[in-house]
Amino acid sequence: MRIQILTTRIDINFERAMRSLNTLLKKLIRTATGRKRFVMAFIGLSVAMLLILSAVQIQVDYNDLLNSKTNQDSIANFLVVNKVLTDRNLGATSLNDSEIADLKRQGFVEAVGLLTPSRFKASIQSASDRFPFFTDIAFESVPNDFIDVVSKDWHWDESSRFVPIIAPNMFLDFYNFQFSFSQNLPQLTQTVVKMIVFKINVYTPNGIMTLNGKVVGFSDRISSLLVPQEFMNWGNSRFANAANAKPSRAILRTKDPGNPTLVSYLKEKGLATDADKTRFSRYRHIVDLVVKIAWVTGLLMFLFAMVIFTLFIQLTIASCKEEIILLVTLGASPGQLRHFLVRQFFPVNVLIVLISMIMITGLQYGAHIWLARQNVYLDTWLGPTTFIAAAAILGLIWAVNRVTIRKYIRLSTN
Amino acid sequence: MMIKLEQLVPRPLKDRLSARPSDIWNTTLTLEPGNIVKIKAPSGSGKTTLIHIIYKLRQDYDGSVYFDERPLPAIVENELAIVRQTQMAVVFQDLRLFPNLTARENIDLKRILQTPLYDAEKIDEMAERLGVKHILEQQAGICSYGEQQRIAIIRSLIQPFSWLIMDEPFSHLDNNNTRLAASLIAEECKKRGAGLLVTDLDEDSNFDYTHRYQL
Repeated sequence: MRIQILTTRIDINFERAMRSLNTLLKKLIRTATGRKRFVMAFIGLSVAMLLILSAVQIQVDYNDLLNSKTNQDSIANFLVVNKVLTDRNLGATSLNDSEIADLKRQGFVEAVGLLTPSRFKASIQSASDRFPFFTDIAFESVPNDFIDVVSKDWHWDESSRFVPIIAPNMFLDFYNFQFSFSQNLPQLTQTVVKMIVFKINVYTPNGIMTLNGKVVGFSDRISSLLVPQEFMNWGNSRFANAANAKPSRAILRTKDPGNPTLVSYLKEKGLATDADKTRFSRYRHIVDLVVKIAWVTGLLMFLFAMVIFTLFIQLTIASCKEEIILLVTLGASPGQLRHFLVRQFFPVNVLIVLISMIMITGLQYGAHIWLARQNVYLDTWLGPTTFIAAAAILGLIWAVNRVTIRKYIRLSTN
Repeated sequence: MMIKLEQLVPRPLKDRLSARPSDIWNTTLTLEPGNIVKIKAPSGSGKTTLIHIIYKLRQDYDGSVYFDERPLPAIVENELAIVRQTQMAVVFQDLRLFPNLTARENIDLKRILQTPLYDAEKIDEMAERLGVKHILEQQAGICSYGEQQRIAIIRSLIQPFSWLIMDEPFSHLDNNNTRLAASLIAEECKKRGAGLLVTDLDEDSNFDYTHRYQL
C-alpha cells in the first residue's frame, strides 16, 4: 500500500516535472525565431497538401466515375466489332481464330462472344390478312451472356410453339416514325408488337418450312434480329446452303469503351465498331492529362514544402545551437531534446493535414451537389483512399521531421 | 561511482606537463566514492581541462578515464545524459547558466531533467541559506557574478549525484558566503554519500579533505 502511494506520488511528480521541463525548453528553443519563415512553410505545406490530397481524391472520383454501377452505361459496355469493309477484303471479312484469340487476350476486353449469322434463307410474314406484311429476313445469334433482355420465353427446342426473337429498338422506331406514315399503317407499341405471332418461312431444299415467331424483347445492344443459339444451330446444321463459315462479327464486353487503348487497338487491327460508344476516348486523354498534372504539381509542391519545412527545423536548431549544447552539457539527453522538438513541429503538420482534409471534404461535397444536377454521381464524402493517403503523408512528414531533428541535434552537439 | 584516471595527459599541454611533477597527470589515480578531494593548481596547469575531461566535454588527451571500470569514451549520448543527470553534478568555472532564464528556472531545469530528487521548495530553502533568495526571479544574465556562482552551486546540488566536481567554485565569494556555500555543499554530499572534487588555486580549509593533490 505504501509502496503504491509512493509510486503514484513519484509518477505525479515526474509528470509535473515533464510539463515544467517542456515549458523551460520552449523558453530556450524558440520556434518563433523565424516567424515569417514559419508562416511561409506553413502556407507552402498547406497548399501542397491540398493539391496532393485533391489529386488523390480526383483520381478516386475519376476511377469511380469510370467503373461504378450508377455511372455505367450498359449499352456502351458492349461493342460489336467487325472488319472495316474495303475494296480489298470484299467477301473475306471473317474473323479467324488467331484474331479472336488476340482480341480475348487484350486487357480491356472482359469477354468476347461470336455472332453467328443464319446461313439459310428465311422470310417472315403476318399470320393473318388483317395486318399483312412480308419480308425476307436474316437472323443472328449470340451467347446468352451478351443479351440484356430478360424473358421467360427466351429458349427454343424443336417442340417449342414459336421462335422467340429479340429485335433492335431501332427497327421499331423505323417502323413507327417512318414506315407507318408512308404506308398508312398504325403505330405499334412494344407491348403490341410482343403480342403479334407471325410466320417464319425457312427455305429448305425440300420446300418451305413454316414456324411461328414472336418478338419477346427489344434491345439497343446489337442491331440484328436475334434468335436463340439453339435455333440457329438447328437451322444452320439442317438447312445451310453453304459450308460452315467463320463468324464475321464479334461482341465484346469491356469496362470502359472510352479506353484509348481499346480505340487504338481496333484501329490498328482494322476493326470497326459504333464510333459513338468510343467517342469519350478523346476526352479521356485530356482528363487523364489533367489528373496527371494535378499529381505532378502536388508532388512537386509537397517536395518544395518539405524542403522549406526541413530548412525551418534546421534553422531553429541552428539558431538555438548554443542553448542545445548547454542543455546537453547539463545532462539533457539527445532523446529528450528530439522528443521535445518533434512535439514542437509535428502537431503543426497534423493541423495542416486536418485543414486540407476539411477543405477537400467541402470541395467534394460541392462537386457532388453540382455534378448530381448533371446526372453525374460522385460520392458525397471522401473515399478511404484519401484518408489512407493523408495518413501515409503524415507518416512521411513525421519520419522526415524526426530524421532532420536527429541529424541536426547530432551535428550541433558533436 | 569510482573514477579512475590512468596515465592521463591532455595533448595540448603534453610538453609543458612532462617537465614538472604532478599528482594527477601521467599517473594512475583512483577516486573512491565518498572521498573529498582537493586539487590545488596554479593557473595554466590544466585545472579546467581536468574538470572538462572528467565531465567528458573534451577528448583530446592520452591515457584513460574510467567510471566504475567503464571507459569514458564508451559512455555516449543517452547513457552520458543519465550519468550527468544522476551520477555527476558540476559547477563550471564559467558557470554556464542560461542568461535568459531566471535564476530559479536555471536551477529548476536541472531539478526536472530527471525524476526530481527534491521538491521545488528545496530551491527556496537552499537559496535562502546562500542569501540569493531575493534574486531567484531575476534573469541570470543580470545577476552579479557572485550571485551567479551561488545559483550554479545550488543548481549542482538540486540533482542526484555520486560525484560533485567543482572548478574554483568560490572565486567570487567573500569568506562568509564561501563558508555558507561550503557547509551546504558538505551537507548535500554527506546526505548522498557522494564524492567531492574541488579545484582551486590555493590551499583552503573549506572542507574536511580526505585527499589533497597538486596538479
